[in-house]
Amino acid sequence: MIDQLPVICVLSPLFGALFVALFGSRSHSACFPIAIVSLVISLICAIGCTQQVFTTGQAMDYFVGGWGAGKVVEGVEIPLGFGIQLRVDHLNALVLCIIGIAVLLVSIFAIRPQGEKDTEKTHYFYSLFLMLACGLFGQTITRDAFNLFVLVEVSSLASYGLIAMGSSPRGTVAAFNYIIMGTVGASFYLLGVGYLYLKTGTLNMDGIRQVIELSPDVADSRSVMVAFILIMLGMWIKMAFFPLYGWLPNAYSYCPSSAGAVLAPLMTKVSVYVMIRMMITVFGLEWVFESFDWSALIVWLAVIAIFAGSVFALAQNELKKMLCYLIVAEVGYMVGGAWLADADRWGLTGAIYHILADALMTLCLFLAVATFAKRAGVIKLDDLDGLFKKMPLTMVGFIVGALAMIGVPPTCGFFSKFYLIRGGIESGRWEFVIALLVSSLVNAILFFRIFEIAYFGSSPPEGHGHHDDEEHGETTARRGLEAPLTSLVPLWITAALIIGLGLMNGQVVEFIRKTVGLLGGGAA
Amino acid sequence: MAMKWLALVAVVFTGALLIYGVSDFPDWGSADSPANGGIEGAGRSVSQTFIQETKPLTHVPNMVTAVLADYRGYDTMFETVVVFAAGMAIFAVLRVLKTVDGQHSRVIRDRSVDGDHQRIIVGTTCKILIPVIQMFALYVVAHGHHSPGGGFQGGVILGASFILLGLSDGMETAMERLSEGKFVAMAAIGVLIYAGIGLLSQFVGRDFLDYGALQPLLGTPDEGWARSHAMLGVEVGVTFTVTAIMFAIYVNLASKGELKGGL
Repeated sequence: MIDQLPVICVLSPLFGALFVALFGSRSHSACFPIAIVSLVISLICAIGCTQQVFTTGQAMDYFVGGWGAGKVVEGVEIPLGFGIQLRVDHLNALVLCIIGIAVLLVSIFAIRPQGEKDTEKTHYFYSLFLMLACGLFGQTITRDAFNLFVLVEVSSLASYGLIAMGSSPRGTVAAFNYIIMGTVGASFYLLGVGYLYLKTGTLNMDGIRQVIELSPDVADSRSVMVAFILIMLGMWIKMAFFPLYGWLPNAYSYCPSSAGAVLAPLMTKVSVYVMIRMMITVFGLEWVFESFDWSALIVWLAVIAIFAGSVFALAQNELKKMLCYLIVAEVGYMVGGAWLADADRWGLTGAIYHILADALMTLCLFLAVATFAKRAGVIKLDDLDGLFKKMPLTMVGFIVGALAMIGVPPTCGFFSKFYLIRGGIESGRWEFVIALLVSSLVNAILFFRIFEIAYFGSSPPEGHGHHDDEEHGETTARRGLEAPLTSLVPLWITAALIIGLGLMNGQVVEFIRKTVGLLGGGAA
Repeated sequence: MAMKWLALVAVVFTGALLIYGVSDFPDWGSADSPANGGIEGAGRSVSQTFIQETKPLTHVPNMVTAVLADYRGYDTMFETVVVFAAGMAIFAVLRVLKTVDGQHSRVIRDRSVDGDHQRIIVGTTCKILIPVIQMFALYVVAHGHHSPGGGFQGGVILGASFILLGLSDGMETAMERLSEGKFVAMAAIGVLIYAGIGLLSQFVGRDFLDYGALQPLLGTPDEGWARSHAMLGVEVGVTFTVTAIMFAIYVNLASKGELKGGL
């Protein structure tokens, strides 16, 4: 049973999506339990896999269709890459858990999806939501370069639909931009995989790396280099890395808030994971940093991304837009960290740890901001005026997320910056260290400005009495605004996890560093 | 204008990059290329194994079908999910569930053919063609084991036959044959058939999509034949989804999501 966990983790949301499509149109109340049950099963599988990897210290392999490498079927020895391999190792086990936690919390948060054109579309929302979860789990767990593309498409198509469901027409335009950019990104990735297949004859990630290590002809060929550039470009578009970030702010600001709360923390982070997976498993760190070695250029791009994201965030007066530009800066952290190329791989470790940390921080902030928008109609920064008194319980969650974003010690945001800066110092890339520090400073300015507005806001008291079920857009009558438990509980759990991940940083980093190739020297 | 120049630079750069990468590809059709002959010292290549062993492993003469529906069946299942997700996304964006009275002007069409000569010609031709197209679609699905074909191609042809009915005889006539509830269910059931066959082999105690495990259930002489039959099963699942989503996209676009009136 244990050995089936990796595939069940991916299949459970898929079956959920199908059942929602089958039964959801008749009774909308059926959607929510189906979604929760399927996502709980996935989360249990993800935790089970992590537990297994942790206790045995070995990666968990799963061969779909029983086409295991080296297995003999009817007298035929099956080579590696014959079928599709799934593998949970030290790199993706925790990413799976974070995806599981985030989608489950957001699905609770989304009990009444907000901001859609009408609530009759609940079943389409949940169906797409579950397919998004399925795609994210699938692309994290797979060990096959082409299967990864297929699952990127599943999650992308679902996210296009979710973004276009937003109530504002700008959401539809943003979704269209995102479709174009996302398709270009996915095509680049696919082209890269095609080039790799022609040179190596396999699609299995380990198989490709073995050929690159085995044959210097392949390793030094122009095709493999172009394949690497194409794959990186494709993933940078998907994760909104600096010059290619144009689609992100509008897409994540104008979509339904519960869709934004799952897309913002997960889509970019999973793309960063894919980039790191490509570097470590498909090409091998030795090839990436020694044969290719564009580390300096890419770290500089990351530095620019961090500065640009921070400056644009400062210029925004819409809350969600501001967070979106912070994501652009955070992507700079992760790409820069991954490319630091220090001998002990602290930069890469920090980048992987930051995937987990940033997913939680972004989730926390987006949940809080979605709650503000829903309950108090907050869109611009000034709308936060005096909100501390009116929604203290939501504000607590927001503050934890904000402190993590700034990088205040007990939260995970501090430790990820710590490891990234350590990598920066060890590799001698001071520009990256400076960018991280400046960005922390900018985050501090941004969030303390918000705290000031929310805490010391000096608006005259206005409106009395309880107004439940306020639709957004209403800015009056702000008393009794505190959010329902379905919004608060996910927010608090996220806030608790931010602190928990921070306190557990030693164990988490030790676990991550068991990833092959991370323990110094780049030896795989 | 500046954007146009920027776009031109980007396109030229991408094209140059691709050509640069192509320049040291193995020769076209070379038997020694890594994709065909494998890498020295790495054992028999995957594609050689596909070519040499597909017949004994699965009894399927068309090895493309075996690669697609069995060895890489997990990919194909998610390709079907991609089609399904596209359909759901179209519903989520376009479908209008609450129609406000008065806004929707329903065209009541003259259903009789009298006096509409164009309709007689088009209608009669399509009436003759559609059953043939549908038979051909089923043939393409069933014959995927032996010739190019299979679920996606067959599904598209079958879906096109319903669209042709909608174009020639009004969307509502087509919707009488295949109503909204039916095609949404059909799309979900298609993927469910595929994933369900995979799940069945898990219940037997083997891995997901390991069709060989179904041998006792199907009563075939060996596991190869079980794989062959199960592949037909998943192809049928793909056909369901592709047919339903093709038609769903058409009706949503043709009626601006109201699923009434239309072309």
